[in-house]
Amino acid sequence: MAKLFNELRERLLRAGVAPRHVRRYLSELADHVADLKAEEERSGRSPADAEAAALLRLGGTNELLKAMTGQRQFQAWCTRAPWAMFGLVPLGVLAAAYAFACLILWTGWRMFLPGTETPFVRVDGLAMVYFTLGRLTYYGAPILIGWGIGLLAARQRFSSLWPAAGWVLIALAGASAQVHASRQGIPGGTEHVGMGFTLGTSAQAISSGLSQALVIFALMAVPYLIWRLGQARSLSA
Amino acid sequence: MNGVPELLILKLLQQEEMYGYEIVQAISSRTGAVIAVGEGVVYPVLHGLERDGALTSRRKTINGRSRIYYSVTPAGSHRLADLSESWSSLTAAIQNLLTGEPHGEVVQ
Repeated sequence: MAKLFNELRERLLRAGVAPRHVRRYLSELADHVADLKAEEERSGRSPADAEAAALLRLGGTNELLKAMTGQRQFQAWCTRAPWAMFGLVPLGVLAAAYAFACLILWTGWRMFLPGTETPFVRVDGLAMVYFTLGRLTYYGAPILIGWGIGLLAARQRFSSLWPAAGWVLIALAGASAQVHASRQGIPGGTEHVGMGFTLGTSAQAISSGLSQALVIFALMAVPYLIWRLGQARSLSA
Repeated sequence: MNGVPELLILKLLQQEEMYGYEIVQAISSRTGAVIAVGEGVVYPVLHGLERDGALTSRRKTINGRSRIYYSVTPAGSHRLADLSESWSSLTAAIQNLLTGEPHGEVVQ
């Protein structure tokens, strides 16, 4: 029975059915088989025969698969619109994280460093904790988003193509992001924090930016690659 | 047979709430086992109806066994009425064809 359910789970996920629908379907099928088996045992069959009869009555893997994949409403969003789930959404989340980091920088500058020309100075105490939150968001967001992409791909048994495309986008955005902070109309002018995206203009700057993108890409992809390796080992075992 | 599983399920659940195994048994017994499919395929139909708002479900534990029970919503009752009407028209039309009865008269 476990073999049938494992095979069905894998085929449903690969066919694009959302993991939560797969979970519920398999859970109800398992309950159904238990009821059928009990019924068959009551009619005098041995436990092994009862289970075989129950599985026969449940339907074959192809039949069970077709019943679920025939309904588009059970398809996961990353199957319906992979370009959005592996491209637009991660970029949107990254933009939101960068906006939050900039907000932390701007408010921290106003609260803790009112007289300074730049917020990029050494701070202590509560100010350090506050600015560290912003830095963690800024540097950690691309990696966390990349892990999220890997998790999505692993849950849905996606091939590496779409997640790799998402990682490239996030890695390039992460490597090219630059924060600018300036005080307009010194002294006593307003604090201005903004962001730009560039890998630089010189060959050296571009090379450095691409190296940084490669490091981010590797950090994002590692958990997914480890999972793929584990999958390959369990299949070959 | 398009729409038949939905029709049967909605009809059965309109009378009382049931879980998947009970529904399959009820379909089998009340149709004289004429309609027989792999029993597991009833669940995608149930989930689809629930997603459309025609059914609602709740988990209930009876005799130590936890089951998901389904019941019809008001939207499901409307859908049942529509399906029943379509099915009645269809069966009447097919019956007429099989028995050779004319379905109308030519007006001169």
